[in-house]
Amino acid sequence: MKFLKSIVSAFDVRKWEKKSKIIAVVLLAIFVAASVLALLKPSEERLMNCASTAIRTELAKDEHRSRRQVVVTYNDLYFINYASFSTSGVNGISEKYVGFAGSIYHADDGAWNVVGQFINYTYRMLGCGQSMLYGAKLTIVLTTISILVGLLISIFLALGKISKIPLISLPCRAYIFFFRGTPLMIQIFCIYLAIPGIFEGFSWRSLFDSSDPEAVFKGAFVAAVIAFTLNSAAYCAEIVRAAIQSIDKGQYEAAKALGLTYGQTMSKIIVPQSVRRMIPPVCNEFVMVLKDASLVFVIGLMDITTISKTISASGSYLVFVPAMVIYLIITAFFTFVFGKIEKKFSVYE
Amino acid sequence: MSMIRTEHVSKKFGSLEVLKDINITVENGEVICLIGPSGAGKSTFLRSLNQLETITGGQIFIEDQLFLHREHDRTIHSVDKKKQKQLLLEMGMVFQHFNLFPHKTVLENVMLAPITVKKMKPEEIKPLALKLLEDVGLSDKANEYPSKLSGGQKQRVAIARALAMQPKIMLFDEPTSALDPELVGEVLNVMKKLAEEGMTMICVTHEMGFAREVADRVVFMADGIIAEEGTPDEIFNNPKNPRTQQFLQSIL
Repeated sequence: MKFLKSIVSAFDVRKWEKKSKIIAVVLLAIFVAASVLALLKPSEERLMNCASTAIRTELAKDEHRSRRQVVVTYNDLYFINYASFSTSGVNGISEKYVGFAGSIYHADDGAWNVVGQFINYTYRMLGCGQSMLYGAKLTIVLTTISILVGLLISIFLALGKISKIPLISLPCRAYIFFFRGTPLMIQIFCIYLAIPGIFEGFSWRSLFDSSDPEAVFKGAFVAAVIAFTLNSAAYCAEIVRAAIQSIDKGQYEAAKALGLTYGQTMSKIIVPQSVRRMIPPVCNEFVMVLKDASLVFVIGLMDITTISKTISASGSYLVFVPAMVIYLIITAFFTFVFGKIEKKFSVYE
Repeated sequence: MSMIRTEHVSKKFGSLEVLKDINITVENGEVICLIGPSGAGKSTFLRSLNQLETITGGQIFIEDQLFLHREHDRTIHSVDKKKQKQLLLEMGMVFQHFNLFPHKTVLENVMLAPITVKKMKPEEIKPLALKLLEDVGLSDKANEYPSKLSGGQKQRVAIARALAMQPKIMLFDEPTSALDPELVGEVLNVMKKLAEEGMTMICVTHEMGFAREVADRVVFMADGIIAEEGTPDEIFNNPKNPRTQQFLQSIL
């Protein structure tokens, strides 16, 4: 209940900070402006009717052909749209048009050409299947799960590493040494390929219903999540250890003098205080993993980077710009979230 | 019944002998002030009493019961862990640098140990905690975080926190050394009140005025030994040991 209330209160505009209000107003203004432009945008029909006579003749012929000669692309991006016509063959014709704010522009060369390409790539990005947003979803889910679970494991690894009992500290040290000392790509390979090799009859795809056509990808994704989690646990363990060891010795002494056991001291005094100190480096680690997620290409998965590279192979390299923009948006969002968490943990300072 | 008795307590850091054969007996309700030049081993001795430092040799008795017996850096007579913990809880400690828990409010600081260690319910300990905060004059700060307090206020909270465990002995390790001069008085007043209520206290202090006024016995330590001990009058007005004379001359 308390949790639900806190979510509801987050939507209470009266309690918002001034900065948040400004951001909300700006976003709203952008949305209104885009909507107005969307109303002014030329219709699909108008854009299609722009095509030259030559194209139209070919299009008319296409009706009776078994194999179409004209490739027609129509992309609608809410406030702007784009159409391209191209015929194959030696005397191929190519025409591109951009519709914006009531007018139609030729986009065969110059600035409108760049705009047209952007619309096309962004459309493909937003489209279904192997789009960049599909890649973004994979990147975000993979990063979030592996950091959250990795962080949880890393607390035990860090406490283990600073333990004075060799039976505990040695395995933890070895784990951290191994996962920090070997490339993530090889770790992904090992988990994806070696585990089914060791356990006969096990394959990653068998985790899912065999009738599911996506089972192969889902299985690979599980393997990737495991590899990333184990890897980030090792890195986070060092962050956690540094944070724990940065807490003043006096805190341990005060806790001991009051009769707290080591476990109680850690769980009630030391770890809660070190959380705040962990947040900036964990945010750093998060952003790193976000980009390392592109390594999943080695087991056949597609993230933002891989998909944009695939798209770029068929044409302009401009596609990397929207890819970078997606990364920046994701990073900005999570930096904001980490900032909020840090603020929440800093109340006592 | 003596509250604390030490016999032949020694402490070595490597080859450095910090404490050499310390024998001291503290009676119930007695206030002892430990004075002496820096490096004399005063703090180390105090911290040895509640195991923040492990002694290398000697015996410590709390309430006439064996608490620790070690020789040559080895435990000779192992005391039952439960018993040892119970005896440890008879002692409350106040540190030079307060060591409050910064992520807990003042009230939470005071209530933490009784809840965690004695497994008391928050509503059971809260009245006592509030009373202790009132005694140290900080009831209005109960819900503040330590970072909002002055040094003197922090130290008073630290005293309340130690008292919340209802100890029979209070150990003070230079409680006023880290304070601005104008804040020393408020802490000393709380300590004075505590002494008047009959608390057994051992204070390592540089406040000679306090020692003279409040202490039942002043112990002068130098180079890891007890060089001289006696009533405040004997030590301050009529010191016999040349080291004591020299020390008092240098600070007065």
